[in-house]
Amino acid sequence: MEERSKTVEIIRRIGAPEQEKISITGILKSHDLSFLLLTLPAAEDPPAAVLRLLGSHGVNIRFITLYDDSPATRLLALCLETESLSASLELLRSHQAPLDIRSISHHPRVRILSVYPYKERGQVAERLLTSLRLSGVQPLAVNNASSVLSCVLSSDRFQEALSCVDRVFQLP
Amino acid sequence: MERVESLQIFPLKITRGLVQLSFVGIPNRPGITRPLFELLNRQGVGVKHLLEGCHQSTSDLLICIAAEGFARLRGELHEIRARLQAQDFVVRQPVAVIRTLGPHFDLRPGTSGLLLTALVQAGVRIYSNATTITASTCVIPEEQVEAAERAIGKTFLLPGAKRS
Repeated sequence: MEERSKTVEIIRRIGAPEQEKISITGILKSHDLSFLLLTLPAAEDPPAAVLRLLGSHGVNIRFITLYDDSPATRLLALCLETESLSASLELLRSHQAPLDIRSISHHPRVRILSVYPYKERGQVAERLLTSLRLSGVQPLAVNNASSVLSCVLSSDRFQEALSCVDRVFQLP
Repeated sequence: MERVESLQIFPLKITRGLVQLSFVGIPNRPGITRPLFELLNRQGVGVKHLLEGCHQSTSDLLICIAAEGFARLRGELHEIRARLQAQDFVVRQPVAVIRTLGPHFDLRPGTSGLLLTALVQAGVRIYSNATTITASTCVIPEEQVEAAERAIGKTFLLPGAKRS
């Protein structure tokens, strides 16, 4: 009840939830993947070195966001096949000092939800992320490369995320 | 660096004249970024590139917009930062977005490592990277576009280039 009241209060504060749906052409749903989040020093080589290391051990990366989250640190978020997770964690931990990896965290089961076309419409992202958060679904990472907007979400909240897509977007 | 003959990169789309805005440490609350996107929409400013990184209680939002759009918005951005409750706000300009497409990013291990290594070895500063499915997008300083193109051309087979 308390949670419900909080949600209603949030909706009241940010305005009416019933907005015109945004037209999109389609969505893509990945299979289950694993998610890694690394904190690295704010330099160019460490992220490339991490990706080289994983690649040289046959680990395929299906999603990346990389950016500076402070003047001193860079955040590298990756999605990889679930069967690669244990070996990747072991590999990264064994190279943590030489690669100057400050922290490693992971989520064992995630899925990527992508909507398209994005077409430079910032509101596609804003409406989807707001809807997800109103439903208590916290994205782990978001990016757009080409005309697809992709969110990494915990697999156990994926069905709720699809309901959010239905609320926000008009599909053909 | 050794060129990997089988890795062909398709349209190398380069968009110059951009500004990257980083809002760092935004509280994870539904709708909190709405003032920014409403402003962009009101001013007709397209978001060329977007990524968001999430922490336990905060998120970081990075967007790239055209320089002329930035000129229209800049007077309002500090108020927007306050409304987003961002702990930090960083503007980088001029930047360019280099987008590469290829079927290998989600199929062949090491492709992203090759791309980033090529750029790093050429001395290119990568402000951000987003890779999904078959596309990889790097935001770099605009003055380093030519160096980035050369580095990518040495590493991957570009359209029209002959296999040697």
